[in-house]
This record gives sequence, C-alpha cells and structure tokens, in this order.
Amino acid sequence: MKNRLLVFFFFCLFSSAAFAQTAPTRFTLQATVTDTLGTKLNSVTVMLQTGKDSVLTSFGRTDETGKFSLKGIKRGTYILKITYVGMMPLNQKVNFDTDQTVDLGTIKLKPIAKELYEVVVKAARAPLTIRGDTVEYDTRAFKVPPGSSVEDLLRKLPGVIVDREGNIRAQGQEVKRVTVDGKQFFSDDPKTATKNLQAEAISKVQVFSDKTEKAKLTGVDDGTKEKTMNLELKEEFKKGGFGKITGGAGPASNLPARAEVRGSYNKFDKKQQLSLIGLANNTNQTGLSWADYQDFRGSNSFNWNDNADFGFSSGNYYIIGGGDDESFSIPITGGDRGRGLSDNVAGGANYNYDTKKTKVSSNYYFSQTKLRTESLGEVTNFIPTGDLNTTTASNQTTKNSSHRFSFRLEKQLDTLNTLVFSTSGRYNTSTALLLSTRDIRRILNTATTPTTSNTTVNSRNGQSFGLSNALIYRHKFMKKGRSFAASANYELSSSDGTLDLEARNRFFEATDINDQLRIISQLQSTNSNVSQYKASLLFVEPLSKKFFWESFYNFSLRYDEVDRNVLNTQTDTPTRNDSLSRYYTNTYLYNRLGTSLRYTNKGLNLGIGGAVQQFQINGQYASDQTLPILGRIDRTFTTFVPNMSVNFDLKNNKYLYGGYNVGVQTPTSRQLQPIVDNSNPLFITQGNPDLLPAITHRLNLGFNYFNPGSFTNFYGGVNYGYNINQIVYGQTIDTRTLITSTRPQNITGGYNFGYYSYLSFPLKKTKATLDLGGNLNLGQLITPINGVNNQTNTTNYNANLKLSLTPADWFTFYGSAEVGIGNARYSINTAQNAQTINNSYQADANVKLPGDIYVSSSFNYQIYRNQRFGFNQGIPLWNSAIYRLIGKAKRMEVRLSAYDMLNRNVNVTQYAGQNSVSSERTRTLARYFMFSMTYNMRGIKASVRQSNGWD
Amino acid sequence: MTRLLKPVLFTLLLLTTYLSEAQTNQTEGVVLYTRRTFWPKITARMTYLSQEQKDRAANTWKNEEGSKEKMKLTFTPTTSLYGYESESSESEDGRYTWRNRELALFRDFANEKQVDIEEMLGKVYVVEDSLRAPSWKIGNQVREIAGHMCINATTTDSVKDQVLTAWFAQDIPVSAGPERICGLPGLILELDINNGDVIIETASITFKPVAADIKLPKVKKPKKLDEKGYETMLKTYIAEQIKEQQNPYWEIRY
Repeated sequence: MKNRLLVFFFFCLFSSAAFAQTAPTRFTLQATVTDTLGTKLNSVTVMLQTGKDSVLTSFGRTDETGKFSLKGIKRGTYILKITYVGMMPLNQKVNFDTDQTVDLGTIKLKPIAKELYEVVVKAARAPLTIRGDTVEYDTRAFKVPPGSSVEDLLRKLPGVIVDREGNIRAQGQEVKRVTVDGKQFFSDDPKTATKNLQAEAISKVQVFSDKTEKAKLTGVDDGTKEKTMNLELKEEFKKGGFGKITGGAGPASNLPARAEVRGSYNKFDKKQQLSLIGLANNTNQTGLSWADYQDFRGSNSFNWNDNADFGFSSGNYYIIGGGDDESFSIPITGGDRGRGLSDNVAGGANYNYDTKKTKVSSNYYFSQTKLRTESLGEVTNFIPTGDLNTTTASNQTTKNSSHRFSFRLEKQLDTLNTLVFSTSGRYNTSTALLLSTRDIRRILNTATTPTTSNTTVNSRNGQSFGLSNALIYRHKFMKKGRSFAASANYELSSSDGTLDLEARNRFFEATDINDQLRIISQLQSTNSNVSQYKASLLFVEPLSKKFFWESFYNFSLRYDEVDRNVLNTQTDTPTRNDSLSRYYTNTYLYNRLGTSLRYTNKGLNLGIGGAVQQFQINGQYASDQTLPILGRIDRTFTTFVPNMSVNFDLKNNKYLYGGYNVGVQTPTSRQLQPIVDNSNPLFITQGNPDLLPAITHRLNLGFNYFNPGSFTNFYGGVNYGYNINQIVYGQTIDTRTLITSTRPQNITGGYNFGYYSYLSFPLKKTKATLDLGGNLNLGQLITPINGVNNQTNTTNYNANLKLSLTPADWFTFYGSAEVGIGNARYSINTAQNAQTINNSYQADANVKLPGDIYVSSSFNYQIYRNQRFGFNQGIPLWNSAIYRLIGKAKRMEVRLSAYDMLNRNVNVTQYAGQNSVSSERTRTLARYFMFSMTYNMRGIKASVRQSNGWD
Repeated sequence: MTRLLKPVLFTLLLLTTYLSEAQTNQTEGVVLYTRRTFWPKITARMTYLSQEQKDRAANTWKNEEGSKEKMKLTFTPTTSLYGYESESSESEDGRYTWRNRELALFRDFANEKQVDIEEMLGKVYVVEDSLRAPSWKIGNQVREIAGHMCINATTTDSVKDQVLTAWFAQDIPVSAGPERICGLPGLILELDINNGDVIIETASITFKPVAADIKLPKVKKPKKLDEKGYETMLKTYIAEQIKEQQNPYWEIRY
C-alpha cells in the first residue's frame, strides 16, 4: 500500500512537470525532515513553488526515514514549502543553478504552540495565517457584541490573555507594543489602542516578534525581540447610500402644462436599510413601479411565509402585489397610465433591521390621487321583451387620499421555533362628484326621443379605516419533516360615508302624468363596521421519506354591522325614507377541517386530500335599530372540498404540472347587505343576505419546456372551471320605466374553459428572436333576466407575435402584433350575437448615437371594432424620446420626450357578455412634451435593448 | 517553560503518530459536501446590469441564505468520482423534491484521464480528455476542517473568470477534489468559488474501501466533446447569454 502510494506521488511529480521534460537541464531536490528533537517525520507534505509567482510546480511526501526527493526541476528560484500536522509550516528559498542535485540536509520543523493549535483545531471557522513568526487572526471568526472594544475582542482570541488592567500576553509573552495599520496609535501604552478602538473596525489581529524600539532607533540589533501586536483596520464595512431624482416639465395640447418629479434615497449597512421615496405628477402615474417598490421595501419586498390561512399546499409560491384603496399593500402600477386625467402625490419611509435571528420592518406610505374622467358609453341590453339601448355621458371628479402603515417582526426564537407578527393599517378619505346623463331607448323604436332619460348629480364623501394583525408561530420538531404551525388574526374595517343624490328621471311612455317625472333628492349616510377573528392550525407528519401527512384546521368569525339612514330632502324638512334605510347585523361563522397526503420522490410531487367546511350565517335586518325586524337569515351550509395536485420535474428542462381543486368564494359584505343602492336611479343594485358561498371545480394541466442550448422556450396548458352557486347579478327590467334592478344570486351551471400556449425561439442567436403566443377561452354564463335564464356563450381567441431584432449594440427594433376576437351568443336573443375585435400593432426602434445620445421611438396602433353595432375606433399612439448621459460617471441624464405626438389618445373599452354589449370612450392624457433631468448617485446605464424584467 | 512544553510535545507526538498511523487508511472513502450558491452575488457580476439593478438585487435578497445542494465525492488514491449525492434534491422539510441534473465527474490520476458526464443546455455531454490540473498557488493560511488540518491554495478559471480558493487536507494524500478541481497534495475539503459566490463545504468524510463504487453511468445518446470543445462551448454560451442580457449561470454550473 505504502509503496503504491509513493509510486503515485512520484508519478504525480513527473506528470506535473512533464511539460518541461524537453528542457536540457533538470535538477533534483532532496532533504530529510525531522522535528526539533531529531525524530524523522513520515509523510510530510513537501511542495515546490516558483519564486516569481509562487505557482505550485511539484509536490511529494517524505518516506519512513523522513527523506524526500523531488526530481525533474527546471532551472530557477523556488520556494520550498513544508507542512505537517502540528508543526509550523516552513518556507525556504531554493536556487537551482549549478548543482544538479540540491541536498538541504536535515530540515527541522518547529511545533506549533499548544494555544495556537487549539485555535486552529477547535475554532473550526477560524482561519489562521502563519507566515514565519507572524500569526494572523481573522476577526470575523470571533464574535463579540456590537459596541465591544478591541480589548473584548482580544479576550476571545485563543493564545491571547488580557488581565484586569488590560495588559496583554500573547503566546506566553507580554505584548509591549500595539500598532494600528503598522503605525503607533497616539501613545506608547499598548492599552490606548485596545481600550479605545471599536472591535467592529478591526479586520485582522497580527502578533509577531519585532526588534525593540531602541534597536530600531539606533540601528544596532541587540538580538532582543519583543512581542508586537498590529491591528488592521477594516475597509469601511459594507455600508452605502444612494439616491436619485428626476424632474421634468413641458407643454400639453388642450391642457395646462404637465410636470413630474420623483426622488428616492436609500441608506444601508449590514443590518439596516432606510429608504425614502416621493413622487408628484400630473401625468397619470399613480403609484410605484416594481423597481421603486423593491428599492423602497428592500429586504422586505417579498415575505413568503406570511400567509396565516393554512390549507392545502400545492408546493408553489405566490405573490400578491398591487392593491387599491381598500388594500393594505402599497399600490404598484407597472407603468400603466390608466384612464382619465390624474394628479398624483405619494411618499413614504421604510426602515428594515435584519439580523439572522430578528427581522424588523416598518413603513409608512401616503398617496393621493385626484382623477377626472369624462366618458361616453353605450350599452345594448338583451331582454325577453325587446332590446334596449342606453347612452351615458358622465363627468366625474374623485379625490382619494390614503395613509398606510405596516410593521412586521420575525423572530427566530431558536433553531426550531419562529414567530412572525405583522400589523398593517390604512386610513382613507375620499370625495367624488359625478354628473351624468342617460337615455334609454327601445331598439325597435325609431322615435328620436328616448323612452327614459335621467340626469344625476351625486356628491360623495367618505372615510374608512382598516387594521389587520396577524401572529404566526411555526415549530419544527427534531424529527425531520414534522412541523406544527398556529396563527391568529384580527381584522377590523370600518367606513363612514354620505351620498347627496340629486336625480331627475323622465319616463316618456308613462300614461299617468304623475309618473312622467320623478325627482329624487336624498341624503344617504352609511356606516359599516366589519370585524373578523381568524385562527388556523397546521400539522405535518412525515410517514416515510416519501410520504407526508398534512392536516389543518381553520376558524373564522366575521361580524358585520351596517347602519344606513336615508333622508328625503325634496322639502325643506327632510323626512326619513324607511324603505331605503336599513340596520343590519350579520355573523358569518366558518370552520374547515382538512387533511391531505403528499408523495414526493425524485422530482415527482403528488398531493391528494379533502376538507369539510361549514358556513353558518345568522343575520337580521330592520329599517332602523329601534324598528321591528323585517327579516332574519339563519343558514348553515356544509360542503366537502377535494384537492389534488401533481408537479413533475422531467429530464432536460421539462416540467409537467396539474391539479384539481375546489375553490370556495364567500360573498363580500357588500353582496350580502340588504341595502338598496340607487345612486344610479336607472340601475338599482341590491344586496342579498341569503347568498351562499360560490364553489368552483377547477382542473388544470400545464407543460413547460426550455432548451437553453437553442434558446427555445415553450409553455402551454389547459384549464377548466365549473361553477356551483356562482354569484351572478340577475336583472329585472321594468317594462314601462325601463329601470333595471339587479341583485346577486346563486346560479349553478356556468363554466369556462381556457387554453394557452407560448413559443419563443431565436431566428439567429443574439440577433433575432421570435415569440408566438395564443390562447382560447370558452365560457358560459347564466343570468336570470326578468325571471328567464339567459345563457351567454362567449368564445375569445387571441394570437400574438413578437419579433425582436437586436443586430448591434447601437440599434434594436421590436415589432409585435396582437389579434383578439370575441364572440358572444345570447340564448335570450340569438339575433344579437356579437363579435368584438381588439387588435394591436406595435413597432419600437432604439438607436444609440455617438456622444452617449440615445433616441427611441415607439408607434402603437389599436383597433376596437364591433361591426354589428357599428363601433369602430382606431387609436394611433406615437411616442419618442431623445436623451443623453452626461459626465464621466454618467450620473446625469437629460431627456426630451414627446408623448402621443399625433394627439389621438383616448381610452376605449368594449365588452360583450352577460346579456349586453357595451363600449365606452374616456378622455385621457394625450399629447404632451417633457424636458426632464435625472441625477442618479449610482450612475445611469442606458441600453437600446428592452430589459428582461430587471427594471 | 520546558516543563510545560514537554507534555505538550508529547501529546503532539502522540497525535502525529496516531495520524500517520491512520494515514494508510485515509486514502479511500467518501466526502459529502454542501454546495451553497449565493445568487445575488452572481447577479452582481452581470456586466449588462447597472449598479442600481445590482444594488437592488442585493438589498432585496440580502436575507436569503444560499441555495443548498448536497454533493458527493468518492475517492481512492488513484481515482475519484464527483456528483450529486442523490438523483433529486428536496426542500428543507423534505416535503418537495426536484430532479437534479445528471453529473458524474471522473478523474483517473494514474492514467491521467478525465471523463465528465454533465447535463447542461438541454443535453447530456460526455467530455473526455487527458487530466488537467489547474496551476495552484499555495497560501499561508491553515484551518481545521472536519478534523483535518488544511492549507489554502488558489487558482483561477479563465472560462468563467473566477478566483478559486481551495482548502486541502495535509493528512489525506489524495489529489481529488469537488467539481472539476483537483491536483493538490491533499484532498480538497472546501472550495470557495469567486470570493463566496459559491461555497462547497465538507459535511462529512468517511474512510472506507470504495474502489468498486467508482463507475461511470451509461449515457444514452451522449454528445461527445474534448476539453477544448467543452471550453469553447461554455465560452460561446456565456458570451451569447451576456449579450442577450440573461444570466448564463442559471443553466450551466457556476
């Protein structure tokens, strides 16, 4: 065995030096290695490095007699390095010049001092550098509490002793001198440095023997050496700050000048992140971009384990982003400029403190949007007694302000226990003024006067407050895979609003003169309080390495209270309207108990399970607290919910996934409240306290394939959903007044089916890429119209194509086309089957010119068409920008942009479904120019390429 | 002083004797490594990203611990085989598994041969060539890893532009190591790729006869390459991906 080993080592020697065998002169190095007592050392590692760049050229080991021999060495200067367990490594210069064989005789290795050996052996994470006499400690390996002095740090270093007075001894000898970065620190006393310097500022501690100060001064070496300690200062530990600011202004067509400003500043070190952000504009940018959001929230941008409602685990994560005024999360708009014209102000501060065990995050965010919308809409409704056409012109101004705050604490109690506490709150105020006029005509009626017409002035005021608190506790057992989690949650939502409703309704077909004009003048005030208590438990037991058994329990109790008072204000003394006033209380109790079995092996993940859930609704309503109860709701609803999922990781980047689950959607408070909303007197909405939860059986199957070699990417899939007790808005249309009343109700039988696929591949690698996508959606919706079930079948096709040309660093072109066709068929009136077309074509070109000047231009053409109803609108949108980076560090950008150069922008929506076909045009931000400047402390990088989702 | 030193030396001597005695058996066995990848650090190397984007990634993901993989090195004095410990990896609680790419890196020091079976870029490649050891620089630091005194050595990878720091055991005279790295006077027990972008640490070492376990798996439809072809392919791919503004290391080993 030993012989074989030796042969192998010598073999290694030759092979590593084999390339040099043609050179004329070869040298041999030999020596015997012993310890200080003369004992011959066996199997000592011997390495030969080049003197110039210390590259390892050959290595070997000593034999039983302590001898080694390295052969085939080329001429030159080398460093011989000898290492052995428990001995100080030895470095020695060797020259190969004249003698063919260099014999170094006996080399004695010194033992490593016990204290040092312990440092090395015991402190596993402590790399120790030994260079001749110098021993270097890496301070990262020795933890001291923040704020500790160097003295505290030294006490942690094995081999170093600090007494009560602060005197230092290293390797048994007193340390006479302490230097900082090789220089004396203020005074001769070594304690000055160790007592005053912060441990955090030190990266390395070196201990070595040096000539005495006297010897250095006189230049006469008296042979006396004294222990010296050098403290090496850290390069400022990771710490930084960055910020950016953009401001711009310019003229707009038919509107006052547009301006925008946006700034952010971040400061961080290893543990802390502080960020500030602010924006103001009248260019429809309501919220943050994803990049802004990430900069603002830092390490707390995404928190995976904050879902306190445990249930079936499908093995995939999901992110919930964005949000409206009712949401606790900070609004994120992906560059979408929305409809109407909006003025926006927003700003906030975020602070994160993260250590391995404790993570704290808190933030405050304020946003305010003033939105003006002017719309023209047209709706055709299909009803059994003949179709109706409604035209609406509306003008609305809303102002919403919201304050949001959140606090989150994650504490790792120990390796097995984790606690997460989070609280979020919001306070919103809103005002809205709506002016609208509506005309309803019977389609068959050729008369120019409408059947019914209405003008409304609605003035709203409201405020709302919400609070959500969650506590999640997770425990891992010693047994791998066994875990337990418990959560508790309390949510509160309260709102208070008033509506001043002034409406004039004219009914031209009314025979009675009193019915021809109805004026509504009301003051409605609504106060609503919802509180909810939730608790969940989860337990996971590993049955084997491949099987896991998961069980969960959820409890929820919701209490709703709504007090609505409606006063008729036509006369000077307002009178109470009892038919519209309501006092309503409701408790909604929910219990779910579920279990599932999971199988996982070699990338195949399966889950199968089921849950039983029960809803119990108890409510009552009256015209007022003091008045007799008008109705009671007392219902219990129990259902079984199965769940299945599959995820399969196949060879060569192929993935297959699918599942079957039953979704249960509880009705919202608004849907349950037995309240009549007559804010649009021709379209009256009413809640339904009898509503049951909607259940959807969902099936899905999907496949992904990615070939990085050929840059080809494919995914596709199908999904199907069948609805039981779907919540749909049934309609009743008064045949004479044409007033529509709508009320949510449960209907079974609707379904939808979807197919999607996407393929991306290069036409020429790195130069041209083609993306193809398509999807198909089929759906059936059942809506009761005047007691008759109308079945609407919709078929939507969508196909898209994108060509990316990236031929050079200075030029790119992107062209895309998207075709969307929607068909709707109505059982109630088959003659009115409608087809809507939404097509979009886009071309983008970007050029980089000399002198860091960039030019980009994009042209988009949108087509909205519905031939049957004579709707045809094309919107060409042309934007351009020219910008330049300034300065060596490129921290500054100057930009001139033109938005909607053709001044044709308008917001269009069209819809064909349920029992109607509709279209709407809303005035929105059109042509404007802007000159803007950006300063970014981190520098600006411009590219003619579209980003891959990093921005 | 001398009185104190003597027993110390004696202990050291004992230890040394024990270690040299053990050495005969310490040339064959299995090392299990934990390979941790720190993605934000790798992201920061992407030249197409602005400083702002790099900082954003670093600040957003700073609390993420490196993604862990379990690797296995089977070694004898003359051969070694490196790959994943098992065909699949699992989540920390074991409830979810995913497939590992095929990987079998074989080194034959006696016959100066290397055969690498590596699934990457959607295919399984077989790279066969004569053994190539990087040119090492031996450092001055010593450290204990899994009960073995180790010395550091550094080298560079010109294809992926990385600095590699290896810690090799003085008392295990085997030239094997993790990934495609070898050629030091002792077994490599830790490998740091590019200042902490990837850290491969020893979880355990077991000494036992393993010569029979060092077998290369059979590959259906292998794509054969030599070292030069392999390096050219990687270089081209990295350059193309950087041009496409995509991180190439999602699909190739870092």
